[in-house]
Amino acid sequence: MLRLSLDLLANGLIYGCFYALMAVGLAMIFGVLKIVNFAHGEFFMIGAYTYVLVALNFSVSPWLALPCAAIGGAALGWIVERLLMRPLYAGYASWGFMKDEYAVVVTFGLSLLLVNLVDKVVGPYSYKGPALIETSRFALGPVMLTGQKAIATVVAVFIMIALALFLKKSVWGKQIQAVAQNRLGASLAGIDATRTTSLIFAISGMLAALSGALLAPLVNPSPDVGSFPAIKSYVIVVLGGMGSVWGAMIAALIVGVSEAFFSVYGSYDYRDAFGLAILVLVLLLRPQGLLGQKGRDV
Amino acid sequence: MKLRQLATGLACVGATLALPPAFAADPILIGASITQSPPGSVVQGTQVKDGMEILKDMVNAKGGVLGRQIKVLYEDNQGIPEKGRAATEKLISKDKVVALAGGHQSSVCLAEIEVAHRYKVPYVNTNCWSDDVRKRGYPEVFNTSPYNTLVSSSMATTLATMGVKRVVAFAENTDYGIGQAKLTGELLKQKAPNIEYKYETLDRASKDFTAAILPLRANPPDVIVMSMLPPAAYIVMNQVYEQGLAPSSKTILYDGGGLADYPDFWQNVKEGGKYLLSFALYHPAMPQTQLAKDIAAEYKKRTGSDVNRLVLQAADSLHLVIEGIKQAKSTEPDKVGAAMRTMKFESLRGVSNFSTQQGYSFQQWLDIPFVNYELTAEKQPVGQTVLIQAPGQKFDPAKIVRPK
Repeated sequence: MLRLSLDLLANGLIYGCFYALMAVGLAMIFGVLKIVNFAHGEFFMIGAYTYVLVALNFSVSPWLALPCAAIGGAALGWIVERLLMRPLYAGYASWGFMKDEYAVVVTFGLSLLLVNLVDKVVGPYSYKGPALIETSRFALGPVMLTGQKAIATVVAVFIMIALALFLKKSVWGKQIQAVAQNRLGASLAGIDATRTTSLIFAISGMLAALSGALLAPLVNPSPDVGSFPAIKSYVIVVLGGMGSVWGAMIAALIVGVSEAFFSVYGSYDYRDAFGLAILVLVLLLRPQGLLGQKGRDV
Repeated sequence: MKLRQLATGLACVGATLALPPAFAADPILIGASITQSPPGSVVQGTQVKDGMEILKDMVNAKGGVLGRQIKVLYEDNQGIPEKGRAATEKLISKDKVVALAGGHQSSVCLAEIEVAHRYKVPYVNTNCWSDDVRKRGYPEVFNTSPYNTLVSSSMATTLATMGVKRVVAFAENTDYGIGQAKLTGELLKQKAPNIEYKYETLDRASKDFTAAILPLRANPPDVIVMSMLPPAAYIVMNQVYEQGLAPSSKTILYDGGGLADYPDFWQNVKEGGKYLLSFALYHPAMPQTQLAKDIAAEYKKRTGSDVNRLVLQAADSLHLVIEGIKQAKSTEPDKVGAAMRTMKFESLRGVSNFSTQQGYSFQQWLDIPFVNYELTAEKQPVGQTVLIQAPGQKFDPAKIVRPK
């Protein structure tokens, strides 16, 4: 039982790190625009496919394919913001008129478009991505790991630390925080809010794409691979506190570990429902989430 | 004079317009509701379409049927029963197809046969394995597809012959997966009551199955049975391999869904696919008709891949409809159906005889040939696998190769 619990803890933390990469991007978008991006799972999918196709078709090292996936995700995020999201704050929707409905329809439509586009252009077959390291499996004490899981977790943690430092220490990071707190106030202070929003979407796309690329050797990407991490991300973002990056990171680890344990010691059939049950409890007892702030209308 | 000339001209024009237009004979329309976009199995839908297109082209090249070309109309059901129902409704009521073929996902088939039954249009079940499709007893439904009782019965016999003590099955949460896993357990209990058997239902949309796999590490079973389809099946195989569970000297992985047949099998499982024991409905060692060999050659030419059982099953189901039209000498659905019910049909894989017994065997081709083989090397073509049970022979467990 101890060995099984250690296995579950390790597995839960590993997948929690990948979920965190996904969820942080979503949290950042919500923090600034107060909308949910329903195409976020497809950023994950695009990142996974970019990684696999660059590595396989151009015979490049997976370590080179990884930044290609990041660039692809960032570019997609920037394009989505520029072409689809800008009306939210630069057009009629910026007056608050049907802003949420606009976001839902546009991002949901984008999600369907991307899934079917990849299905038709790349094909329906799934592709196991090349591993970053060739070690297929090894034992770390009582826990069995693969080289890919171990190295991908290290990379994911490194990216999250880098992101935290970027948000806290860099000029751009402070601008992002300012726009998230008060868009109008940030503009009055001389911050280009539109460019900052573009940066946020690019970072969000990059993080989701990196998550997809790191998981590509483990989940065998197919056109609809983005749906499972997307659903987890929505739960994690609400649990962590809408708009809170640190909250999303902590919530991701909690969800990863608790689902792993509940699946075995509770019921495997209801493990997805367990995550949603946690969500409901949090919304009832602490609606602002773990680290979110209570909002107020002025 | 001028008036007379004008009148003559107008009369000529009117006569020309009144003549019926001359055009080539209309093609015979056959409907196919298949999965062409997610969330259903697009891989299966693609192979079904490939098989039907190849046979259609071959038949049309020889002049078609009853002097008319065959045209297959495809509708995308996305693997969703409601969409399958709508697609079938459209094919029958709007497109006026003679018959339907191509159904390849049990949940969708179960919805579509209701529509075919209501309109009394023949429906050839290409690849829906669930016994429930047959149990409904609809005279319009013809089953050239494998069926769960066949597969489960064979797998239960195999497991009993292997002399194992403990078996765990992973079943996807569909009519096919749960149906097969449940039935395998029931039949195994009859054949070898001392074998401990249980099955775990896995969500085919999930990407992480370690929570179901990890508890087995403490007490590995002798056999892990897979009643799952790609891509979830590939992930399970990889994760079972990563955890060091199977394949091993203790635990064999046994597939009941024909995974090794899929063109993307090796690119997704790599070393995790070695030593996979597979119940299979196609092997080059099986007797094949000349038509089957021609289809195999054409498939290789068009796609670069070796033919597999799903491509042949798809061609077979269209072949049955075409033979039914020939026998009936008509394209009226009820006459075609009546001919299909009584005619002798030589399929691509052998002479088929549709049973008339109610239950899982109703209008089912019962004696579908099968083999059991084992993959012993990475990227191994099916033709080079180790035949543990040749066509018509008994399963020989001594031939099983285990990793050291």
